[in-house]
Amino acid sequence: MAARLFARRRDGRVEVRLSDEGRAFVAATAREVAAAEGDPGHAWGAGLHAPIDPGRDADDPLAILSRQSDLASNAELVLATLAEATLSDAEAWAWFCTLQVALRSIAVANGLLDDDAWNARGGSLVEHVQTLQALLFELAKVL
Amino acid sequence: MSERRAPTEREPSESGAVATERPWNVVVWNDPVTPMAVVVVVFRRIFGYPEAKCTHLMLTVHHEGRAVVWSGGRERAQSYCVKLQVAGLQSTLEQDA
Repeated sequence: MAARLFARRRDGRVEVRLSDEGRAFVAATAREVAAAEGDPGHAWGAGLHAPIDPGRDADDPLAILSRQSDLASNAELVLATLAEATLSDAEAWAWFCTLQVALRSIAVANGLLDDDAWNARGGSLVEHVQTLQALLFELAKVL
Repeated sequence: MSERRAPTEREPSESGAVATERPWNVVVWNDPVTPMAVVVVVFRRIFGYPEAKCTHLMLTVHHEGRAVVWSGGRERAQSYCVKLQVAGLQSTLEQDA
């Protein structure tokens, strides 16, 4: 039976059982989300800035600001808690959201928007996406 | 200063009935890379729905390409839409037909 990467403890905190390599992967992902949020020309921009209300000429600026602030806060919280042995529930949720934002951004940036496109791809991109999916799947078990 | 003002959508009509705004729908769209378990967790944490309802909505997204996950006032709908996007799901707003 494979070891679990995250475990919910009796005190409510989430134990992180990632190796150094695993933590480095999460760090690189969070740094990329933070960088993409601050750079309108980033390759992940389309994934991060999808319109909230496609029926209007422009989205509500307050909604956009809220999304940008929350995305950046989550990525920064991940970077601030990378070395922790355990995470609070809010910190674990920030990890989860940041990894999922990265997953979706990679999918949008690489045109993986339907099953055919996904099945046609291979190589390191698929391995990267599968690593993100595995981390998310493990985190989902404790949230 | 004139007391006259333009009528709003919520003012009584001539018949005495109160016209209410059509509800706003929060729509979540399918994508081929997000694990199903992730979608269920996001619905549970953001909306507080029971596990069975979250699973049902996730399967609707998976099979039909989209699902309306919440309906109501515009401000709350927009807030939910932002939360879903911050959690990495593709979501949009639309007004009920």
